[in-house]
Amino acid sequence: MADEIDRTELPQATVVRRKRTRVSIVWIIPILAAVVAIGIVVQRVLSEGPTIYIIFKSAQGIEAGKTFIKYKDVNIGLVTAVELSENYGRVVVKAKVAKHAGGLMVADAKFWIVEPRISLSGVSGLNTLLSGNYIGFQAGTSTESQRSYIGLDVPPAVTDEKGRKFLLKAPTLGSLGVGSPIYYRQLAVGRVTGFNLAPDGKSVEVGVFVESPYDRYVTSETRFWNASGVEVTLGADGFDVKTESLAALIAGGVAFDVPEFRPPGGDVPADTAFTLYRTQTVAMKQPDPLERRFVLYFDEPVRGLSVGAPVTLLGLTVGEVTEVGLSVNPRTETYRSRVVITFRPQAVFARLDKADPAKATLEARNRNLKLQVEQRGLRAQLQTGSLLTGELYVAFNYVPNAPKVKLDLGKDPLELPVAPGGFATIEAKLASILTKVDNMPLDAIGVDVRTAVETLTTTLKDADTLIRRVDVQWVPEGAKTLEALHQAITDADRVLVNADTTFFAKDSPAPQDLRDTLQEVTRAARAVRILVDYLERHPEMLIRGKPEGSK
Amino acid sequence: MTLRSASQAVACPDCDLLQTLAPLPPGAKASCGRCGCTLARQPGGPKDLPLALTIAAAIIFVIANTVPLMDLSAVGRSASTTIVGGAYQMWMEDEAITGVLVAFCAVIAPGGYLLFMLTLLLGATRKIAPPWVGEMLRWASHFQVWSMLEVMMLGILVALVKIAELATVAAGIGMYAVGALMILFPAIAVTFDADDLWRRIEWADGAMPPEQVAGGAIPEASR
Amino acid sequence: MTRGTVTAAQAGLVSCEACQLLSRPANADEPGFCRRCGEELEFRRHAAIEKTWALIVAAAICYIPANALPVLNTTSLGETEADTILGGVAFLYTSGSWPLALIVLVASVMIPLGKLVALSYLLITVQRGSVANSHDRTRLYRMVEFIGRWSMLDVFVDTFTVALVQLSPLMSVAPGTGVLFFAAVVVLTMLAAETFDPRLIWDATNPHRNRHG
Repeated sequence: MADEIDRTELPQATVVRRKRTRVSIVWIIPILAAVVAIGIVVQRVLSEGPTIYIIFKSAQGIEAGKTFIKYKDVNIGLVTAVELSENYGRVVVKAKVAKHAGGLMVADAKFWIVEPRISLSGVSGLNTLLSGNYIGFQAGTSTESQRSYIGLDVPPAVTDEKGRKFLLKAPTLGSLGVGSPIYYRQLAVGRVTGFNLAPDGKSVEVGVFVESPYDRYVTSETRFWNASGVEVTLGADGFDVKTESLAALIAGGVAFDVPEFRPPGGDVPADTAFTLYRTQTVAMKQPDPLERRFVLYFDEPVRGLSVGAPVTLLGLTVGEVTEVGLSVNPRTETYRSRVVITFRPQAVFARLDKADPAKATLEARNRNLKLQVEQRGLRAQLQTGSLLTGELYVAFNYVPNAPKVKLDLGKDPLELPVAPGGFATIEAKLASILTKVDNMPLDAIGVDVRTAVETLTTTLKDADTLIRRVDVQWVPEGAKTLEALHQAITDADRVLVNADTTFFAKDSPAPQDLRDTLQEVTRAARAVRILVDYLERHPEMLIRGKPEGSK
Repeated sequence: MTLRSASQAVACPDCDLLQTLAPLPPGAKASCGRCGCTLARQPGGPKDLPLALTIAAAIIFVIANTVPLMDLSAVGRSASTTIVGGAYQMWMEDEAITGVLVAFCAVIAPGGYLLFMLTLLLGATRKIAPPWVGEMLRWASHFQVWSMLEVMMLGILVALVKIAELATVAAGIGMYAVGALMILFPAIAVTFDADDLWRRIEWADGAMPPEQVAGGAIPEASR
Repeated sequence: MTRGTVTAAQAGLVSCEACQLLSRPANADEPGFCRRCGEELEFRRHAAIEKTWALIVAAAICYIPANALPVLNTTSLGETEADTILGGVAFLYTSGSWPLALIVLVASVMIPLGKLVALSYLLITVQRGSVANSHDRTRLYRMVEFIGRWSMLDVFVDTFTVALVQLSPLMSVAPGTGVLFFAAVVVLTMLAAETFDPRLIWDATNPHRNRHG
């Protein structure tokens, strides 16, 4: 039968022993740790950039492990060590550059320390006050890589920018320096890159750099002027302030533009030379074809009249003073002032000339001039432009009743007649006031005051004594008299006090009035005194009254 | 794994009570009957686990101390520090003793612990462990008391929260490494079977073989 | 107490601190050396009570300057401000992170104080031979041992604040002298916990004649 199965004939099942794993699964953990560690190490090694050395004169604010090298505001490196050089003369800064910036380390790359700096082009690097100094970087164009550099002492003036360089010639440098800004219509568009003395030693050559796209505004007609500081004219014209910017105020600056009366001009190549004018006014001055010079002789002092002071005609500026000097009046052999003026009436006369071209010739003008001077009384006068500064200017006005003069057209420069100026009148007025004050009999007034005071004092004393002697009962008249006396004394007292404090006040009574008052008071006091004497001798008079006939 | 003898006697380290230890199943522990102190622990995991963890911890320890813990940046400046850097800074600020103490508790003690554990675990792979293993174990226990990585971690976090107001803080690799160590250290302690090691150690004087102790006899101390 | 409770000391046996091997002492006064690991054998930790008291007193002395002296000097734009531990807690609280304030307060003020008080209590009860609450006292000791290290928190907070905030002139931080005293308190209390022998608590219940600390 198939039921009975012999166990011994059954094959034996295979025994699968649990294999003793050599390495248990726990080793994953350290392997994982090792992998991570290796990964970190590899990543660090791979991302390591080159090490560079920069030599500086001093390492202000540079700290190992903290100071960065920045280019375009991106950290491209970190200082790893700061040490003195072998001869202790310099500082060697060792830095590690990021890998992505390794390609920038070429031969003409430049490094400098960025710290707060007030330079001619303004205040820079203020953010380093908070963030600590860093090393600035400027890329170079070379293809040769380099690892050792000499650091600059100051940031480089010209960076890798587009623009053009020009040369300016000026008699003096003024307040310009490397980094001084260049302005076009008050926009900073460039800077001064350098300067040197001209070969002949008589002028200065200033190199400037104008950034693009502004460099195309520099044309053949462009005028450059020194825009340093503030151009303040406190003249008879008034108060005028011209300044480009605060930086120009501190650091000096140059501005340029094309004058209005000129065409725009054509392109100029780089390194073209221009003249650097002293001020904007001088730069933009247009020549005046009607310009002529006249000479004026003044007998009054011309202190306050400066070269450049305006010359006006009926209040309109038609020229300026070009010379102020001294000469001798041949007639009286005394000194007199000699003022040369330049007449530039273009702006003012242009309209008249256009209307009537016939009048525009020299002869016509001279004839007109003669007419104005001889028959209409046109005279030159010195007038005060500003009481504050005492500045004078020359004004041509029609002076009524001016003494007749003859205009000699032969002289060159033409001499024009003058009339006394307004200032002299003021001076004369002041002088007369002062004389009047001087003539006041102040001494005599003083003496009178003293006498009146003395008499009054005595009077008061006597009155006091009398009042004490007499009984309280007063006769009405006597009482009234004494009342009046009391009042008079009080008034006198007040007057004296007032006189004392307000003697020289504007609205005090005229000195003469005061004198009269004092004399009155003196007389009154004397009269009272006599009365008091009499009362002393005849006290019954108070009741009976003054006897007839006695004083 | 050697079996514990049914009649092995121990004295509780905390209350000195004499008691016997029964054999423990894996993962179980024996506590003192009177005061609850843990007398013995039978770790459940694979035998190699302590060594694996220790090696991993050693590698991570190196990372934790060489890589910056975090990056701090404020107004364009940045600062970062390692653990040693922190201690060094204290040294530089004239608090040298504190700096040394910090270095000890944060670097030397944990490092020493790992070092000794590593050597003794490697030495313990032999059936009869050489006597210096015991020495190592003693040192390791001492160091374990003074290694304060978790306290340091919390301290760093508190400092970071204080600083976070004025700067942006980014945790660095070092921080994660320390976090990993905070887990690994207790793991090593838990999985390490000290009793087993003690039983396998060759005795200091080489005289009495361990088997006899397993038989229950109480040896006499040497002079 | 359950019947049959015998301590090793009562039985005249000494347990090795390092390897837990029970040995018979070489003689009553000088128990000898552990044969397994070579460690010197003692019934109880040597001079435990004396040493622990000394360390507690030293820690208590250091506790006062630790809290009175500033632990952190913050220099911000030229102005220096000194902060004590409590000042730091107050700062954290007022700046809104009250959980951190609580953590620092507990770790830096309450734990060290608690350790001093607890250890003093343990020493006093042992010296008086008290038998009550032995189990709780043992648990207290374990707590002191365990929690001790967390007082170092403020030292680490200080260290890393100093290490990181070096952004002068905006702000820079320097440690104050209080830190050293505070670290001393922590270290001394930790050592005190190590020198104390918890078995002494139970010796009142199981007295023995063998020499103990």
